This record gives sequence, structure tokens and C-alpha cells, in this order.
Amino acid sequence: MLWYKVWLETRFRLLFTLGVMGLLLVLTYSTRAAAPAPGARIPVFGIVLFSIPTFVVVICTMLAGAGIATQPSFQATKGLHGSMLFTLSLPVSRLRLLAVRAGFGWLEMAGAIGTLCCGMWLASSQLRGAVTVVEMFEYAETLIACASALYFLSVMMATFLDDQWRVWGTMIGSAALWWLSTHTPLPDSLNIFRAMGEGSPLVAHTMPWLAMTFSLALAAILFLVAFQVVQHREY
Amino acid sequence: MIDHIIETSQLTKSFQGQPALRGLDLRVPTGSIFGFLGRNGAGKTTTIKTLMGLLRSDGGTARVFGNPVSDADRSIEIRRRIGFVTEDKELYPYMTVEQIVRFTRPFFPKWRDDLEQRYLKMFELPPKKKIPDLSKGMRSKLMLLLAISRGAELLILDEPTDGLDPAATEDVLRELVAIAASEGTTMFFSSHQLSEVELIADYIGIIDQGKMMVAGSLDDMKAQYQRLQIVFPNSVELPTRWVPGVEHVRQEGRVLSILASHNVDAIIEQARSLPGTSVESFPVTLKEIFLEHVRSN
Repeated sequence: MLWYKVWLETRFRLLFTLGVMGLLLVLTYSTRAAAPAPGARIPVFGIVLFSIPTFVVVICTMLAGAGIATQPSFQATKGLHGSMLFTLSLPVSRLRLLAVRAGFGWLEMAGAIGTLCCGMWLASSQLRGAVTVVEMFEYAETLIACASALYFLSVMMATFLDDQWRVWGTMIGSAALWWLSTHTPLPDSLNIFRAMGEGSPLVAHTMPWLAMTFSLALAAILFLVAFQVVQHREY
Repeated sequence: MIDHIIETSQLTKSFQGQPALRGLDLRVPTGSIFGFLGRNGAGKTTTIKTLMGLLRSDGGTARVFGNPVSDADRSIEIRRRIGFVTEDKELYPYMTVEQIVRFTRPFFPKWRDDLEQRYLKMFELPPKKKIPDLSKGMRSKLMLLLAISRGAELLILDEPTDGLDPAATEDVLRELVAIAASEGTTMFFSSHQLSEVELIADYIGIIDQGKMMVAGSLDDMKAQYQRLQIVFPNSVELPTRWVPGVEHVRQEGRVLSILASHNVDAIIEQARSLPGTSVESFPVTLKEIFLEHVRSN
């Protein structure tokens, strides 16, 4: 039944996410520029390649959680309390609390990204003309894999930060990761932000496997760190 | 069946160098209603959190149902057999009463639907109401319902009547006693309300500065402790040393008030040996015993 708690906890956040997504879809639908010169990029790509990665960070921020400190942000001033003691009095391991919360949120994130990609492809005739449904599906896969690192960064932060600080922490952490990816001699093939934009299947027409693997490995490490924090932390 | 459902030995715990528990020895007899008393910051909640596996002790041992609470796997099994009311009475703000009952039920194989229905009615908890819309008293009642309906062998209650009005407090206490009597459930509860503890507890433990000051059967304690009032003439020189058992001596004019923890007959005899004195003994309240121990510490 932990999934039930997670669903009740995240449903309005998911709804908010879907609301923002709706705005993006309307924006995509209403972008009708003149046909680009041969070889030039269609205008809707500008929206897609900028808004989707940004939106992915928003989704990660909204849906991540660690399952123990679960108070909404408007109650965060109370500190790491809320219903935490009640949660920890249940006969379940801390790993299960963390895994169910993080896993359910990840599925919601994947669903939201998948819906967004489908919606954009259906909403934009330019996009339909420029990329195949298979390429859009591959793009969704890339986004889900690359977003995982950011999502689990937020999960890890949820193990020791109040909700409102976790939101800020995730945004700052994501910005720091982006800065590191552009200002360090990291190969482009490992750059998860590039993989969601210029290096994505929409533009490069090839799957950024290295970046995806790197992101998933980073996500796994962050999950392990989160587990260690939860396991050793005293409440 | 084990004799002591909760047993700690030399339990220690510090927070950033500040000791919260200093070698706590606690034994809660199976089937008892054990009142755990102490001032704010005495270590009650730290003890309860340690027993629930939320905190790790620095030293000593703690066992519940004979299982060490430090073992993570056993701790899950322990929690399956415990009903817990937290001090803060906080529950998920995004759930309604019926949702949190529905959520909690599957975790406990011995969940009692009959008790759930009974307390939903008795406590007049509105099933559709969101938890933040409930008063603190109603939240306390909801937490009690969730703890009692678990079909637990042990109820650990941290200030269970906090926020309840006197009528509701009496209802709750009566129900707790009824459950202990009918189901054989052991109750370990902390409270500041000494009158409540005196009303329902059969065992008490008084903790101060992380150490158990006194523990035992309340009846025995009340039988052992006596307040002696000695009226003496001016000419009498009072002894500087009393026989063992004198806990506290207070003099007001020609009246001496002695709190005796044991050896009462010998103390009376010593007092009567003083010429012209009259001695009367009175039973003491739990409040007097409590205050005596926390003040003397």
C-alpha cells in the first residue's frame, strides 16, 4: 500500500506538471512559421529542444521524493517532521520506503515525458513532417534515461532536506551539472544535457547511448547514496 | 511468554555530545500498563524512539519482545506487533480519515476491523475529512484508533491524551484500560499528566536526566512511600542523621515533614524516641513521589 500513499502524495504535483505540459503543447501547436530554407532547422525545434529539457528538470523537481519526510512545501517550515514518525513506525524497511517512493515517482516522470513527446508530435505538423514516430519514441527514451540522473539527484536531496530546500537544491544541482558538462573536458558523448538537445535522436538521428548509460549509472549511484543516508540517518 | 516485554540495560544515547540517556535500565512487565514519567527533556521520547528503531543507541542493549531493536530485520517484526502514538500526532496532510485507515490496515496482519469501526464511531471521526482539518484532539483520537486497531501486543503511546478535553481524556483512558484488560495488551505510555497515570497505570518508571530514578509497581510504591508529620516541642534537638529510608526532610516551625521511601516503622520509632513528639503518617500521591525524585536529582 505504499504506492497508495505515494499516489496521494504526488497526484496534485502530477496534475500541475500536466498543466505546464498542456501550455507547452498549446505553444507547440500554435507555432506555425513559414517553411524553413532547405537544410535549415524547422522553428518548432527551437521550442522542443529548449523547452523539453527545461521541463524535464521541472518534472524531476516536482515528482521526486524519498518517502520518509513527506510534508508538502507549505509545511516545510515545521522542519523534518510532518508524518515522518508515523511512516517509520510502519513495519517496512527504510529501503522499501525509499524504493517505492522513488520508483513510483520515476514512473510518473517517465509517463509525463512520454506523454509530452507524444503530445508534441501530434500537436505539431512541422514536427510530424520532420521526424518519424520512431525517432520521437527514441527521443522520449533518451529523455527518460537522461532525466534519471536529475531525478535521483532530487531523490537523494529529499533524504536530508525539507521539501522547499530540496526544490531549490535540485535546481541548483541541475544547473551545476549543466555548468560542469559545458566547462569541463567531459566528452560530448557523455553530456546528458547535450543528449537531450543537440545530441538527441531528433537532431543527430542516432541514439546517445553513452550519455544515457552515464546518466543511468549516475542515477544508480545517487540512489545508493540516498539509501545510505536513509539507512544511517536518525529521525 | 516473556516476563518483560521491554527490557533495556545500561542504554546510552547522546546528541552532539549532550547525553540524553545515561545508562537507562527499564523493564516493562508483560501485560502491564506502564506509565513512563519524566520532565521535559528527561529522555522519554529518546527512549521511545530507540525502542521503535528510529534512533540507534550509543551503548547498552534494548530488547522488545525479547528481540534486539538494533537488528534492522527484527525491528520490522517488532514494529508489526506494536501500536504507536507519536508525540507530535502528525499524519499525512494529503489524506482523509478513511484514506489513512485504508492505507494503514494492510501493513498489519492482525488488524481489527471491529475495533476500527468501534473507535470510528466512538471518537466521532468524520471519514471524509482531511487530516489538517481535524483538531489536535481529533488527530490524537485518530492516532489512537490507528494504534489500537493494529491488533498490537504492545502499545507505545507518547503523550496519548495530549490535546484532548477532559471528557475525551476520560473516554480514552477508560478504553485503554478496557483493551489492556480484554486483549492482554501491554501499554507503555509517557505522560505529563500524573493524575492520568495514577488513574490507569499499574507500574511506573520515573526518568530524569536520562536515568531511571525509580521503577516498580505503583501499589507497592504507594505502600512503601509515606509522608510523616512530626510535631515536636521547642526543647527537642532534632537528629542530624535519620535512619535509612528518609528521602526528604522539610521543617516549618515545630513541624517536620518527612518523605519516607521505605523503613517507615524504623523512622517512626526514631521520631517517637524524641521526647514530647507526636507522629502521624499519611499516604503519598504519585505527584509527591515524582516531584521528590526529580527535585532531588
